[in-house]
Amino acid sequence: MTTILAIETSCDETAAAIISDGRTIHANIVASQIDLHAQYGGVFPEVASRAHTESISAVVGQAMDEADLEYSQLDAIAVTQGPGLVGSLLVGVGFAKGLALATGLPLLGINHLEGHVYSQWLADGFCEPAFPIIAMIVSGGHSELLLMRGHGRYQRLGGTIDDAAGEAFDKVGRTLGLPFPGGPAIEKAAQCGNASAYAFPRAKTDSAYDVSFSGLKTAVMRAVTLQPKDRSHRQRRAENHAQLRDDVHIPDVAAAFQAAATDTLVNAAYCGARDHAASALFVSGGVSANKLLRDKLRDRLELPIHTPPLFLCSDNAAMIGAAAHFRYLAGLRSRLDIEARARWMLSEDVYAAG
Amino acid sequence: MILLRSNSPAATSRLGRKLGALLTAGDVVCLSGGLGAGKTCLCRGIGVGYGAQTQLTSPSYNLVHEHRRAQYETRLYHLDCYRLGNPQAAQSLGIDDILDGSGAVIIEWAERIEPFLPSERLWIDFDIRGESRRDLHCQAMGDRHISLLADFLRALESDAA
Repeated sequence: MTTILAIETSCDETAAAIISDGRTIHANIVASQIDLHAQYGGVFPEVASRAHTESISAVVGQAMDEADLEYSQLDAIAVTQGPGLVGSLLVGVGFAKGLALATGLPLLGINHLEGHVYSQWLADGFCEPAFPIIAMIVSGGHSELLLMRGHGRYQRLGGTIDDAAGEAFDKVGRTLGLPFPGGPAIEKAAQCGNASAYAFPRAKTDSAYDVSFSGLKTAVMRAVTLQPKDRSHRQRRAENHAQLRDDVHIPDVAAAFQAAATDTLVNAAYCGARDHAASALFVSGGVSANKLLRDKLRDRLELPIHTPPLFLCSDNAAMIGAAAHFRYLAGLRSRLDIEARARWMLSEDVYAAG
Repeated sequence: MILLRSNSPAATSRLGRKLGALLTAGDVVCLSGGLGAGKTCLCRGIGVGYGAQTQLTSPSYNLVHEHRRAQYETRLYHLDCYRLGNPQAAQSLGIDDILDGSGAVIIEWAERIEPFLPSERLWIDFDIRGESRRDLHCQAMGDRHISLLADFLRALESDAA
């Protein structure tokens, strides 16, 4: 049995988990900063970094307590090395390096996106897939479509050419005055909305595997905010946010936006799966919690659709531990001088350079 | 103040390509205008014109994206202040290091960190005039950016001719 302590601090969550054999969760602790950022209506990189620093030791300690393990019973320490906010990543990477040095355990620097892919391995009853599979990662910071040919073998098929899927949900949610994060808020508002009340566009991209949400976001803005002819240029500049029209029915906008956004994602996933004879589609990341997206994928694709359990859709360390397990089995180890990598695409050579 | 017109996202991206080809270390391009005005679209073009090896996408979530091109050392920093809580938060992004003149810098939602921006810069403010029509108000401050704007306009003219 291989048991790994995993640490994740790439963005708003300070997380630690202990995983055996890439499948069994002994502990999964997430200290979220969402309340902190929502309270002030924005992200403060320094505050985020400080909050990680303040909580990481306690979060790791709590994970070890819950798993009822000593460091001597672990096989490795894994940490999210990137991509993400550099100040936040540094906290986790620094802590993991120190721990590896102190315990003598091997260190594994893990790509956050690969973690999202491996969140599937932690689902109840998950069976090892027959590769190739298509992996779609949809979150606040990422929208990636990947062909996965084996453990650690990725080919990037496409992704967003402008805004990430979760970012579009957040920006539309914020414009509509809905609470942060926008994804769950829009999904909830859409329940009593009419999706055909607005005809929002489904963007066409040069590659069928790419997605675009910028045009959709613009169309929503135009439909729900006061148009520039109503106000002077100077007046508009003075405001931080566009003003909502009085006649906007928020549930309808939410439903129509959600319908368009999910159509765009379903289409890219469909094309990827069709062209590469994939045996399954793995959807992960925060947006994969969206029920309409899950339902539409099941309707459109004649393939098994795997989604992680809801508590593993958003950022967590358990998925980092699952990804690390397969790295560990392959004999890969990171040096103790690894650095945080703010930008790090998941591709075939993702660990070759590590 | 120079006014440029765009009638489509593709036209905005073309403007970006022309500007991106001219950017060198020390250039600072500030972008403002509401959601959906075309800031990221212009940036995508800037990345292509600059020769960035990675595609420019929205940095709203990660706040800063760093791009490189094959032949030159100069980095292209792409910032987005949409999610920033207040102007002071820009300091913790390492804005001083980013603006140290070693790279070219483009900043979306720049008005949110105005107190921390250098006085010499090219500012492009987007005005949404219609479904896909946008007015781009360009203003250059300082000799360096005045000549950058002049070169940009010349490049557009030679393209039109």
